[in-house]
Amino acid sequence: MSSPAIPVPHDHGHGDGHHGHIHLQYQPGLPLTRGKLIMWLFLSTEIMFFAALLGSYIVLRFGAAVWPKPHHVHLSEPIGAFNTFVLICSSVTIVLALEAAKANKTQLAKLGMIATFVLGALFLGVKGYEYQAKFSHGIFPWAPHGLIYERPDLYYGSAVRARLGEPAIIARLKELDEAPVSSLSAAQQSARGNLQGIRKMLTDPKQESFEMAVVADQIAPLPAEGPGGHGAAHGINDAFPWLRLPMVIPGGSMWASTYFLLTGFHAIHVVVGLIVFAVLLGCTLGPKNAGMIENAGLYWHFVDLVWIFMFPLLYLF
Amino acid sequence: MTDHTASHDHTADHDHAHGGIGKYIAVFAALCFLTTMSFLTYSAAWPWRDQPQVGWAFMMAVSCTKALLVVLFFMHVWWEANWKYVLTIPAAMMAVFLVLMLVPDVGMRNRMVSQERALHMARPTDVLLLQEASGAGHAEPAPH
Repeated sequence: MSSPAIPVPHDHGHGDGHHGHIHLQYQPGLPLTRGKLIMWLFLSTEIMFFAALLGSYIVLRFGAAVWPKPHHVHLSEPIGAFNTFVLICSSVTIVLALEAAKANKTQLAKLGMIATFVLGALFLGVKGYEYQAKFSHGIFPWAPHGLIYERPDLYYGSAVRARLGEPAIIARLKELDEAPVSSLSAAQQSARGNLQGIRKMLTDPKQESFEMAVVADQIAPLPAEGPGGHGAAHGINDAFPWLRLPMVIPGGSMWASTYFLLTGFHAIHVVVGLIVFAVLLGCTLGPKNAGMIENAGLYWHFVDLVWIFMFPLLYLF
Repeated sequence: MTDHTASHDHTADHDHAHGGIGKYIAVFAALCFLTTMSFLTYSAAWPWRDQPQVGWAFMMAVSCTKALLVVLFFMHVWWEANWKYVLTIPAAMMAVFLVLMLVPDVGMRNRMVSQERALHMARPTDVLLLQEASGAGHAEPAPH
């Protein structure tokens, strides 16, 4: 706002008579406030940060031999679209809050800010629900919890065998074998039959890749394409969630790494935005603080912007 | 130069009067419309179902349009002075450049892989294998 002052040497022919007196010549600054300038500089670094994340995702995804379809990894397009809608709404409410603050309608500005905060929290809540859906299906970005295998090969077979050989699991399997048919649902009955077949097959030393594909399909089938295939859960892992047997999702490991990295960093940005809104809610949102609202808004629109690109890239491609 | 920016400082507050709530609502409606447009590629009317690249290009075009609307109107860039180009264009160029730089090493990584990695990584044939297996599974009467 105020321009930096630069001392200019001067010579009026008075010699050394004016020690303390400096003539100031003002350099023109940029036609925007310092806060806004800093925010834009920060945003330009953020552009490159998210460009690096999204760029590596694009390159990894299209360079991969296989990439899972959204419904293979329990991604729901309508939920993603709903979250897009929530963020767009929050962008509108903060812009309206800014206009209200400029017009000195502090109550209206506060209302807009509260709405933005609630919508941001809603976005995070939906995101948490989505994460939970992944975790409950054994999709984790890191190794000890992740159940994803790339191929139905012998490594996969030995992982299934190792899981079925754990003492705790053996005890529960025994219970399951002895459970009366009446205590099981139809899906659980057929899953129990499949499971017994798999255990028999795994004791046979002669395994072939194709049989492993059958095992993988009985444990966690990849839903078929089309509307009928969505959420069709009838694998052994779905019938008995405590089993947590390793499953095959071709390309699933890389998918999980990129998905959680991208959405995780985006969610961190949403959290930071919510903290800023919470601080602003403690201030009087009048023309005096309009600059702060504007800067918070610039940041929030950027978060919205990143999601606008993430949504089709992660959910629709 | 000094006079020019001084006058800018003066009008900085008036510049945003270009905004207006009607304009924001119009942008909001456009954004919602464009979001539903992304789903057009899923509809039966979409003629390029066997060429996913067309759908991807379409969805990216929709995203870029949405991004442009947000930047221009919600972030007020439409009404800003020329400094906007200095901050946004180099950053955007770096973003594109970065993706291009990743292509040889990362995007084409499957052209030259070690045997060890090739042993473990997924192949398109694995998907076919699993689909075959699930086809065999679905031939049986449904468990439900």
